[in-house]
Amino acid sequence: MRQEPGAALGTAARHDELRRPWRRRLPLLPALVFTVLLTQIPFLMNIWYSLTDWTIVPPSSRRYIGLDNYGDLPSDQFFRDAAWVTVVMTVSAVLASLVFGTLLAVLLDRKFLARGIARTLLITPFLIMPVVAGLIWRNQMFSGLYGVVNWVTARVGMDSIEFVSRYPLGSIVVVLVWQWTPFMMLIMLAGLQSQPAEVLEAAKVDGASPFGTFRQLTLPHLRPYMELGTLLGTIYLIQVFDHVAVMTGGGPDSTNIPYFVYRRSIGGGWDFGKASAFSIVVVVASIVVATVALRVLSRLLRGEEIA
Amino acid sequence: MTATSHLTWRRRSSRTLCVLAVAALGLAAVACGDDDDDSAEPGATGEAPSGDGGAITVAIVGNPQMEDISALTPDLFTAETGIEVNYSVLEEGTLREVVTRDIGGGGEQFDVVMIGNYEAPQFGANGWLVDLTPYAEEDDSYQLDDLIPTVREALTVEDQLYASPFYAESSFLMYRTDVLEAAGLTMPENPTWDEVAEIARAVDSDEMAGICLRGKPGWGDLGASFTTVLNTFGGTWWSANDDGTVAEAQVDQPEFKEALQFYVDLIHDAGEDDAANASYNECLAQYRDGQVAMWYDATVAAGTLEADDSPVQGMNGYVTAPVKETEASGWLWTWALAIPQNSPDPDTAWEYVSWASGPDYIAAAGEQVPGGWAAIPPGTRASTYEIPEYQEAAGAFADVTLESMEAAPIDNPGTTPRPGVPGVQFVGIPEFQDVGTRCTEQFSSVISGSVDIDAALSACHDIASEVGG
Repeated sequence: MRQEPGAALGTAARHDELRRPWRRRLPLLPALVFTVLLTQIPFLMNIWYSLTDWTIVPPSSRRYIGLDNYGDLPSDQFFRDAAWVTVVMTVSAVLASLVFGTLLAVLLDRKFLARGIARTLLITPFLIMPVVAGLIWRNQMFSGLYGVVNWVTARVGMDSIEFVSRYPLGSIVVVLVWQWTPFMMLIMLAGLQSQPAEVLEAAKVDGASPFGTFRQLTLPHLRPYMELGTLLGTIYLIQVFDHVAVMTGGGPDSTNIPYFVYRRSIGGGWDFGKASAFSIVVVVASIVVATVALRVLSRLLRGEEIA
Repeated sequence: MTATSHLTWRRRSSRTLCVLAVAALGLAAVACGDDDDDSAEPGATGEAPSGDGGAITVAIVGNPQMEDISALTPDLFTAETGIEVNYSVLEEGTLREVVTRDIGGGGEQFDVVMIGNYEAPQFGANGWLVDLTPYAEEDDSYQLDDLIPTVREALTVEDQLYASPFYAESSFLMYRTDVLEAAGLTMPENPTWDEVAEIARAVDSDEMAGICLRGKPGWGDLGASFTTVLNTFGGTWWSANDDGTVAEAQVDQPEFKEALQFYVDLIHDAGEDDAANASYNECLAQYRDGQVAMWYDATVAAGTLEADDSPVQGMNGYVTAPVKETEASGWLWTWALAIPQNSPDPDTAWEYVSWASGPDYIAAAGEQVPGGWAAIPPGTRASTYEIPEYQEAAGAFADVTLESMEAAPIDNPGTTPRPGVPGVQFVGIPEFQDVGTRCTEQFSSVISGSVDIDAALSACHDIASEVGG
């Protein structure tokens, strides 16, 4: 049952593909060269810059200094702060949107009137440009003078709070969760709809409670989907820039690493050598996360079931 | 069999959903991946050059006075000289970024650039700008000696004028005469910060804050206001060596903390709402709405407060910037036109600079700009303040503006020598832009209450210590 007949055929086909001569892949080459030119050459230059002492303001000639830029990294408290903000921002936003996404997916998995409309509306935040989302939340939701959140808290007798300046990290995480919950919801919904109907039916026949079914059958089934959501979400949220730029414009407790790198380079620091070193470290960290993520992704797409 | 195929279908459709989600993600990433280049591109650059007198490209900042001149250029300049002028109107931060990259990197994008008195002497010293002194001395219509001395000095390094001022401002204190009168208080003519703080706390109420002070991070926002306070409190960012280089960061000194504590306390006790996000525009809006009784900011604000459409017209008093240890504390800022060293045709460029920042334009603009005489570019020339129409339109603030401009302590703003080129509300070294912005992020967080003052000062001291040493 589990071993599909196509699987054996697939392996044979893959072998055959490996034996195919290069010229059959030739049409791919322009795209490949283009990608290499546009991504890998700048990256190599970035590595070279990270080994130099190079600032435009004040103007100085570029000078090779070996690994000094990297040596300065661990002692740079602002880089450490930015790294910590990145970790907190990414982890809390991913986990919270995963939880809310799962809850919404469970609700959407039921049949009810206007389910399609509800699903479309729920997906909408994900389709809004990050800059727009940041501006809307900062100005219309969080503002102490005319924000919706403060209007609501004022109804229950609380003092108005400038959320963004008082709790910069928390405010940004709220917006990220708002934007990324639909993404998690889509993935979880996919997981829920792939659950074999007969298993659920059998559980019902055996007299399992709805909560028991969810905890013992659905959750284990959703695990790979959760892993996928977590890892994809992490890859994308680790590089949040727009929200930071438009909501707080940096500052303690909201400068994450991408914004920090921007600030050290063209955003006013003009210290390209150090900024390149910072960005290389981020790239290495992202590659580690991405490798794990892609492994899980490929396992999922091969159709292996953990449950 | 049917069950199996149904299962496969279910599984495949779930995979499709998943792929869809990932694809949507990819699209979103592409959609937001390419948004950072647009802002760096210069804005609309007008029509193709007509060819008779040549064409120049000018980068200017998008302030009202600059927008006026770009609208008047075809009639007043191109019609006379045949020189086509293409403007790139940029937002202040973008202008600074683009211009630094273009002329610092040896580009030839612009024939004339608008820069401030923070950049002009530094760029000049770097050899990036054409020395305008010979042009200005030969050009009779320019009237070099008419420039207000402090402004001219702020743009000069070793007797070489590197940029021609188009607009200049100082800072002063604006207050509502009716509010102070109702509270039975009088404003001294040259107040001290202690007196101002006392008045601010006295008139502060639930409906109206006592004073509006900038609290938004940025070396030109909170950094400008706070540095003038710091100067007059006897503090400074760095001490200087004899040759004008940076010696040591002074952020850990007691005067620095005293100044910051004073500034933050005043905002907490009697400041505006949402101070950590307030800069010029926010304070202007609150003052016009009657939400604050006093406001310490740029002199140029007075023109807006006394405009015909202003709800507070005629209700304001103006006094020089408050002081503590020094005689004068007002800042000095000017937007000035400079010619990059690699400009292909500096003579044509000068013709434009001379017209745009010369006295004839000011006289012509008063008759033609929509805002009338009060909206002409102020602060650059003594002759401006002798024009009868301007005196009439700007009577309430013209004298105290001129007094502030002339008194701006450009050479020695504090009690100790400063490193770098002259500057009041900034330190004239290239690193200040970065240090000022990062430190004011910390200070702004103190104002909003999310960071403790000692932690902010210690972080700022570390930031400032990265310079020099």
